[in-house]
Amino acid sequence: MDNEKKHLQKKDEEYEIDTLTNDRLIKGHDYDGIRELDNDLPPWWKWLFYITIAFAIIYSVRLFVFKAPDLIQADEYQNEMASYQASKAVAKANKAFEVKLLTSDADLAKGSETWHKICAACHMADGGGLVGPNMTDNYWLHGNTVQDLYNVVTNGVLAKGMLSYKDQLSDKARLEVVSYVLEKLQGTKPAHPKAPQGKKYK
Amino acid sequence: MRIEKFTYDNKLTKLFMYATILWGFVGMLVGLTAAFDLIFPALNAGIPWLTFSHIRPLHTNAVIFAFVGNGIFTAVYYATPRLLKTPMYSKKLGSIHFWGWQLIIVSAAITLPLGLTQSKEYAELIWPIDVAVVVIWVIFGINFFMTLVKRRMKHMYVAIWFWIATWITVAVLYIVNNLQLPTSFLHSYPIYAGIQDALVQWWYGHNAVAFFLTTPYLGLMYYFVPKAANRPIYSYKLSIIHFWALIFIYIWAGPHHLLYSALPDWVQALGVVFSVMLIAPSWGGMINGLLTLRGAWDKVRKDPVLKMFVVGVTAYGMSTFEGPMLALKSVNALSHFTDWTIAHVHIGTLGWNGMLTFGMIYWLVPRLFNTKLYSRALANVHFWFATLGMLFFAIPLYFAGFTQSLMWKQFTDAGYLAYPNFLETVTQILPMYALRAFGGSLYFTGVILFIINIRKTVVAGKFVRYEEDQAPALEHDAHGSKENLQWGWHRKLEGKAIQFSVFAFIAILIGGAIEMIPMFMVKSNVPTIAAVKPYTPLELQGRDIYVSEGCYLCHSQMIRPFRSETERYGEYTKAGEGVYDFPFQYGSKRTGPDLAREGVTSLPNYKPNSWHYNHMLDPQKMNAESIMPPYPWLITRNIDIASTPAKIRAMIKLGVPYPKGYDKAAIADLEMQAHEIGENLRQSGIKVDDNKEIIALIAYLQRLGTDIYKDKE
Repeated sequence: MDNEKKHLQKKDEEYEIDTLTNDRLIKGHDYDGIRELDNDLPPWWKWLFYITIAFAIIYSVRLFVFKAPDLIQADEYQNEMASYQASKAVAKANKAFEVKLLTSDADLAKGSETWHKICAACHMADGGGLVGPNMTDNYWLHGNTVQDLYNVVTNGVLAKGMLSYKDQLSDKARLEVVSYVLEKLQGTKPAHPKAPQGKKYK
Repeated sequence: MRIEKFTYDNKLTKLFMYATILWGFVGMLVGLTAAFDLIFPALNAGIPWLTFSHIRPLHTNAVIFAFVGNGIFTAVYYATPRLLKTPMYSKKLGSIHFWGWQLIIVSAAITLPLGLTQSKEYAELIWPIDVAVVVIWVIFGINFFMTLVKRRMKHMYVAIWFWIATWITVAVLYIVNNLQLPTSFLHSYPIYAGIQDALVQWWYGHNAVAFFLTTPYLGLMYYFVPKAANRPIYSYKLSIIHFWALIFIYIWAGPHHLLYSALPDWVQALGVVFSVMLIAPSWGGMINGLLTLRGAWDKVRKDPVLKMFVVGVTAYGMSTFEGPMLALKSVNALSHFTDWTIAHVHIGTLGWNGMLTFGMIYWLVPRLFNTKLYSRALANVHFWFATLGMLFFAIPLYFAGFTQSLMWKQFTDAGYLAYPNFLETVTQILPMYALRAFGGSLYFTGVILFIINIRKTVVAGKFVRYEEDQAPALEHDAHGSKENLQWGWHRKLEGKAIQFSVFAFIAILIGGAIEMIPMFMVKSNVPTIAAVKPYTPLELQGRDIYVSEGCYLCHSQMIRPFRSETERYGEYTKAGEGVYDFPFQYGSKRTGPDLAREGVTSLPNYKPNSWHYNHMLDPQKMNAESIMPPYPWLITRNIDIASTPAKIRAMIKLGVPYPKGYDKAAIADLEMQAHEIGENLRQSGIKVDDNKEIIALIAYLQRLGTDIYKDKE
């Protein structure tokens, strides 16, 4: 009792009151005129800290003790791929696809879009060729039918730098772009045509 | 009690302040140039040192170490003597510190645009400059700590605590991350490779943000905010708790830069949980800054200094909340490698560092020159330019980052990538890049107004070099036993500079040690892949060119384990693939596509040699809308073949299993491989000599990621 009284009295001696906020200033804390208040930690701040610590503990226990599959990235990846494979099997079941020249404006417009996005990087936008062969002349390295071109786009000619697009473009998209080449690019006059390569077709 | 008189010398404060302004101007101008480079790739005009990949490191280094660095020293040299009632320990050490630091900045400004770089972000400087940095830092340390020893104030104020932690931690970070093996005066290899190098680098990189951009500026805040507002600090207890929590927890957070990478799950998890636990300690600083202004809000409305402090501290609060959110794996899956990160960083730098620096200088200059600020109205206009500039910078980039990431991840119903061509995702966000450059221009305009205002003030006033002060002499341990307040033990510690520093040192060592030591000692963290072989000499030279040109600044080499990434780029990156990568080249931003498997012929990104040749020469010829700058000098510059033996010897020393004596055979192998690639290019109708840099770079690109695909092809 006595002690407590003493303690309280002592406390009063150690503080002054800040007149603007009525908070207690700590006596003796004066650094180049900077004083310090004796305010407690704001409760919401303390709770914020506790909650983040709880999060850290739960997260760690889930990983280190329970090996939660959503925190182990190899498992996470396998699950993602497995669920995709399952959906792909369904999609494959209902398809009947014929490789036949497309001539509708809508299809050719889509073909043109793919051409400019992907093929133009090597064959140039106007088809004149640069890294890849010229697509406007009538010389062909791997045949000139729709099926020939479709096969090249599908499987690529890796030895010459032509990629396989079967994983990047759908069957339909590949057919569209091949049709675009045959319908729209063939016979045009590019700005800087690459010299003919392959065999001439009639 | 004996009263002693002493004098503060303001000369170094003034010099550091001028340097802050000068390098702030330069660093931000370079940043603005980089922003325009991204919209107009031809802006580099075929000049290497104007190219984005050369000036981006210059921008980051200049604003961090030159602008903010000098800002820190301005604050430390002004406030430390006043807080401790003693002049700085040595004018001579101070001068060496000042001129040495500026010389380092100048040498950085020359070497980085020339492509002399280690490629570790914010640690790009080559080894001779690194040595100079360490020497100057130690000189600064001696001057600072000796001032603590000579102090007349028994207790150290919280600003001093933060500067102690800053000095210690920056020293540790800088030395450990820059351990390297020189092969010549201008070139070296780091002693770490691949994922280990990445972990060390991001432990450094993250804590450069923590202990160079944050803790010293918290010290700055703790001095200048209460001074400018003439108000007491809100809570001493909060200072204690948030200081220790902040420095202990921050150091663990580095791995959040490598989420969903080849880093083991356990290290990633530590990065996540410690980042989340950082919110409260960071906000402790914000609260103590903002609530110190209670009772002074009427002043805040009028005073540009306080306004800047308020926006600065608020920006700190925002970015320290956002940081932990970006460290959650689900958010990071979206945000990483995008402009979101750039936006996040600039809230911190333009807001927190920029505003606090401007506020401090607006407050300091009238006092240093015994006059009034030339124009308060102009400072208010600067405030609005800076605030709006920051928002116009960041908001478009948040949008850009979000948009691009969703496009990368989008699949069509048929199961194909909706945007297989990376470029589509770039052209989509170009308008946002333009807006960002506009925001940057606003901010920079504000800086010009700032400089005018300061200049006019300086001219109108007269420099007050010396200020007299007096204080009682410090009587050692006279009062120690009387202190029995609630926080008495800490109060005692505040009176003991050396013990305090030792505790801080221990606190900042723990996290890094626990994360890094097992990564080096425990083999299972980096499982060996037998198919992974050392680079050929030509590929090694090509790799060094890749590093020197700064390719990593726009192209990552880290495929993350998501279907959207493995469909686009191939098998995700494994830890064991990087064991010969000195330094690692994971990158942190994808302005262009990932290149980790560029050489794998069966993958969608593969390009033949001739494509690479044409693309480096003129990227827009291959993709009209590409924003890649041209690199025509690769075609005219010769490979530095003579450096090959030294490089191979360094590699052998670092543990790369080349056969014994291979350094002597390396040049012959290099020339043979170069001839093969040269022939291949000539067959495609390209006229090129075998000894050009482009040949080595193509050799490296075509090797990338191929080792683990060898069986499949």
